[in-house]
Amino acid sequence: MNRVWVVVRREYLERVGTKGFILSTIAVPLLMLGLMALSIFMGLRAEQSGRELALIDFTGRLHEPIAERMEDVGYSVEIIDPATGTEALDRRVLDDEIRAYMVLDDLTAEEGTFLYRGKESPGRVRSGLIRGIVVETVLETRLSFTEDVGGVRELLGGGQLEFEAVGEEQSDAARTSSLITGIVGAILLYMTMLIYGAYVLRSVLDEKRNRVVEVVISSIRPWQLMLGKILGVGSMGLTQLGIWASFGALLLFLGLPMVAANWPAAEAAVQIVEFLPSAGAVLLFLAFFLLGYFLYSALFAAVGAMCSREEDAQQAQFPVVMLLGIPFIMHMSTIQGGRVVWMEWAALFPFFSPILMYPRAVAGTVPLWMVALSLVLMGLAIVATAWVAGRIYRVGILMQGKRPTLRQLVRWVRAA
Amino acid sequence: MRIANVNYIKVDHVMEPAVRLSGVTKVFGDHTAVSDFDFTIPRGAIYGLLGPNGSGKTTTIRMIMGILLPDQGSVELFGGSPDFSRRNRVGYLPEERGVYEKMKVIDQLVFLGELRGLTRRHVRARAVEWLDRLDLTEWATRKVQDLSKGMQQKVQFIGTVLHDPELLILDEPFSGLDPINQDVLESIVLEQKQRGTTILFSTHLMQQAERLCERVCLISGARKVLDGNLKEMKRRERSGVVAVEFEGDDRWLSWPGVSDVERVGDAFHLSLRPGAGHDEILAAAVAEGVSLRRFELLEPGLHEIFVRHAGDGPEESQAYGPGGGS
Repeated sequence: MNRVWVVVRREYLERVGTKGFILSTIAVPLLMLGLMALSIFMGLRAEQSGRELALIDFTGRLHEPIAERMEDVGYSVEIIDPATGTEALDRRVLDDEIRAYMVLDDLTAEEGTFLYRGKESPGRVRSGLIRGIVVETVLETRLSFTEDVGGVRELLGGGQLEFEAVGEEQSDAARTSSLITGIVGAILLYMTMLIYGAYVLRSVLDEKRNRVVEVVISSIRPWQLMLGKILGVGSMGLTQLGIWASFGALLLFLGLPMVAANWPAAEAAVQIVEFLPSAGAVLLFLAFFLLGYFLYSALFAAVGAMCSREEDAQQAQFPVVMLLGIPFIMHMSTIQGGRVVWMEWAALFPFFSPILMYPRAVAGTVPLWMVALSLVLMGLAIVATAWVAGRIYRVGILMQGKRPTLRQLVRWVRAA
Repeated sequence: MRIANVNYIKVDHVMEPAVRLSGVTKVFGDHTAVSDFDFTIPRGAIYGLLGPNGSGKTTTIRMIMGILLPDQGSVELFGGSPDFSRRNRVGYLPEERGVYEKMKVIDQLVFLGELRGLTRRHVRARAVEWLDRLDLTEWATRKVQDLSKGMQQKVQFIGTVLHDPELLILDEPFSGLDPINQDVLESIVLEQKQRGTTILFSTHLMQQAERLCERVCLISGARKVLDGNLKEMKRRERSGVVAVEFEGDDRWLSWPGVSDVERVGDAFHLSLRPGAGHDEILAAAVAEGVSLRRFELLEPGLHEIFVRHAGDGPEESQAYGPGGGS
């Protein structure tokens, strides 16, 4: 056991101290934050530009309420005398003086159809917005001839769905929080198992390629070496996750209140704390991460042991990556919500459990016994996988040359 | 060697050879790498495995280390199968240099030593000593990949001897080293032998083997050609050729025991037929009344012995390189 510890320490220290680790630990979250900020910024800019419109109203009675409403949502609207004609307006559009102009006529007053002339179509969101304003105005002018019987206007407004959960008392914030935790957690589980698993594969392959393993193997048993590698890389993974979590906590509990105190506009952002995962969700994440990591890293170690070349490993790891990718795709396809019962059963399959079960467990859509069962099954699967992988590893690390066929693999596993 | 009596088991254990191969064959696909090898390395010996590239030296060593399993025959290490506990008593230097390139030199040595069960403090002190001895002190905290190939090889050699193994198995330990470092390494190998360590090393350099080995095993084309004590081997082999210089009639050279006469400078090299003794030819010369200035039984070099037994196919003799002649 002492020797396992020697391997763990080497794997850990040789990784955590490197530039690569520091870079990936600091740069990756920074990059993600940067991308998020950039996309929000670009979105805001696009929203604020190109809001100059002109309006020609042949009906003579719609332009005022429409212009008023559009200015309410941030457009600047210029009313044009219908006698002017459209040629001058076309030129102004081409000269980028205005983004577009709208033509309101009798058809608009009757059924809400209007002309929008610009260089580009307004896009889905804006056209919905403008359409809504026009239709609302037309409806209002037409209804003004009649009484508003029994709140018919609200009805025309589309009604409202007010959701109430049955059987549990969960606030909106808690529900949103568990949804976000589930999605982010599944993505994080997928990425960490894939990346740390690949580290284990590389570590095994490198040791095999530089033949160090042939020396080392006379001092330590193969399963101890494999265990040491998996534990070492896993500890590095936990360190990285820990660093990210503490950075996040620091930002939320210290950084955000400080910003909010000095900059009142950001006060609303403090509410983000309400959407943080609960302690239980964090613990559950750790459980699924550890079990899932052990399960997949044993597979990756076996793949590394059966290959002698980089290119071989690229191909040989494909089934493992698939095994990890399938539940991820399945999960993403049901992210819109709703229960898919057969998928809850699929989530019991140990190799799918981390990604499929974790979000369901956090959201509370599966019974507790299923969550517990999935954890137990994963534990059992780890024992079985480690046994098979350990046997492949033991033979594989000393083999050079061609990748074994499936039949040879079976023979390796069977060999005592 | 084996003593059946139960009371002598302890003695028997001590007397077990370090390595014993019997009838070992290893085949890769349709290529036979090692064919029907037998040899025994007694405790405390310094044993050379000699042969050209591709003759099966590395395969043999890898079987002794339990990295490969023989297809036929048995490999014994310290009197048993080369399992984990026995391999643990060996210091092994593989032919392909195995180093963690990204690790610092000292860290790598400490890691290897700790894996062998030494304490960190102890192994660090020993590693520092060895680095000093091999002129690597200033490289101790550099990454292994910053070192030249020769220096990496020395680092790996330190890793091999760091834990004072009972048996050192060195696969081509001297290749790639400059002459000065070869000498340093040779002296360390001899010093390890003084300590009682059994040493097995492979080489394709015959001169080196002649200098270092007590016992050799010559292999060629996957087959063992000859093995045994080097001195005895030479004594046995030398009956073949006599160098003579003389004045007088050379009729006696056609004596029936002489199969071939070759003129080398002033001397004649007489090859004797099997069974013909050198004292008989001496008597024949004296009987002819020639006056002998020189009569010498030539000791063949290893290279000559090797060629005599293995035949000198062009690729084999080529493999020895410039340093291999005798």
